Amino acid sequence: MSEAGLLVSTRKGLVIGRSSGGRARWEWLPLAIAGWKVDYAMRDPRTGTLWAGASHEQWGPRLHRSDDEGETWEETGTPAFPEGVAVDAEGGGDSVNSIWTIAPGAYSGDLYAGVDPAALFISHDDGKSWDLCESLLNHPSRDVWGPGAAGLSLHHISVDPQDPKHLTIAGSATGCYVSRDGGDTWKPQNVGVKALHVPPEMFEYFPEEAAGHCVHSMHMHPARPERIWQQNHWGQYRSDDGGATWIDVGEGLPGEFGFASAIDPRDPDTAWFVPLDQDQARMPRGGELAVFRTRDAGGTWEALREGLPQGNFHQTVYRQALGTDEGDPTGLYLGTSGGEVLASADAGETWTTLRTHLAAIVAVRAWTIG
Amino acid sequence: MSGRSEEGRTVAVEIVLAKALRTHTEAPDSFAAEAETVRGAIEQLSAAHPHLRAFILDDQGRLRRHVNIFRNDAQIEDRAGLGDRLADGDRLHVLPAVSGGATGG
Repeated sequence: MSEAGLLVSTRKGLVIGRSSGGRARWEWLPLAIAGWKVDYAMRDPRTGTLWAGASHEQWGPRLHRSDDEGETWEETGTPAFPEGVAVDAEGGGDSVNSIWTIAPGAYSGDLYAGVDPAALFISHDDGKSWDLCESLLNHPSRDVWGPGAAGLSLHHISVDPQDPKHLTIAGSATGCYVSRDGGDTWKPQNVGVKALHVPPEMFEYFPEEAAGHCVHSMHMHPARPERIWQQNHWGQYRSDDGGATWIDVGEGLPGEFGFASAIDPRDPDTAWFVPLDQDQARMPRGGELAVFRTRDAGGTWEALREGLPQGNFHQTVYRQALGTDEGDPTGLYLGTSGGEVLASADAGETWTTLRTHLAAIVAVRAWTIG
Repeated sequence: MSGRSEEGRTVAVEIVLAKALRTHTEAPDSFAAEAETVRGAIEQLSAAHPHLRAFILDDQGRLRRHVNIFRNDAQIEDRAGLGDRLADGDRLHVLPAVSGGATGG
């Protein structure tokens, strides 16, 4: 019987939970980093360190770490653009606004961070200092990147557990990029993905170089790293060749639009998506919240609703607000823009409400204990 | 950026830090600096308290958008370069702007 830990990043701080009774009961620590917008928090499975990127309108972004399971937090080095760096102000400016994602690297002490405005940073000293990935910043396709409603962000980083030099990143609206040489060079990988926010003529002649796609969430499967899932502004996709080509798997889902998605760490064919009613409304269709699951790599979908609000649900589920643990069955954790945490201990079949009245939830990440 | 005026006199100023800042991080109530410009005074504060720099300045060394610095009773003019000149006895108030505030209310 496994237990789980939970990090709920909200616009007013970080909520930290821990289960007992086989994920049946939950205890919560006092709100951490209170008053700050916690943009993303995760646990490094290599060390057990908890990391939280937070930002404040007045005082800027800050990276925090906890080495005692969230009891205490300390500020550490925060990614920052070097003074004088040539970043176009139109693309979001030349100063880091927020930390959108944090990912463990393959080597001890290596940590990656994705920020707004869209850029990748790497630390080789466990977050004390950060280097800007200039090869991505200076990629010739950068001029087609453009901000989404939440800014110009790099919100996804995957490191291949079998090949430390194989990196996959994505953002809004940057598209997906892959490096096979540890970040020295990058190639856009967006063939087959729709981009209806730009005219089709843009990609007519060099489709393999196309970039600027609006990726909302993305996941590389750790046991099968060439398989990647993405929820895009314009649909749901799967790649079986590391992003070189993408297959539209949206048939059977109620809409193209959505933010959040999750994969099953124990099964590359299983994934969950939270489709929303097109990009002009960004709420679940009919006010009914449903999580859609495939267990055949996107061939078919089933709507999971038991225990989820089924009427007058006018909230949304942001791109990083669906997380899984590694339990058996897989636990799912969903946070809403209205500050509710919903959880399923049976892979999405049934849901219970863990928390209400929190601030808007922007990210949820979980892990298995024991 | 030494703390001496062109005539060679010491330009001693006091930086007064907002109470709001001290709710987020360790910071003194005030800091004594000797500098001819706002930039010089803030850099001295940052040298003594390195973690405070990023609270006040962005990555490019500009005053953060929602932070204000007053020289005595008036806002400084050069928010990017912090080149406003100081006089002996000036007080610099570092204050959060009400245009900022915690995200979402």
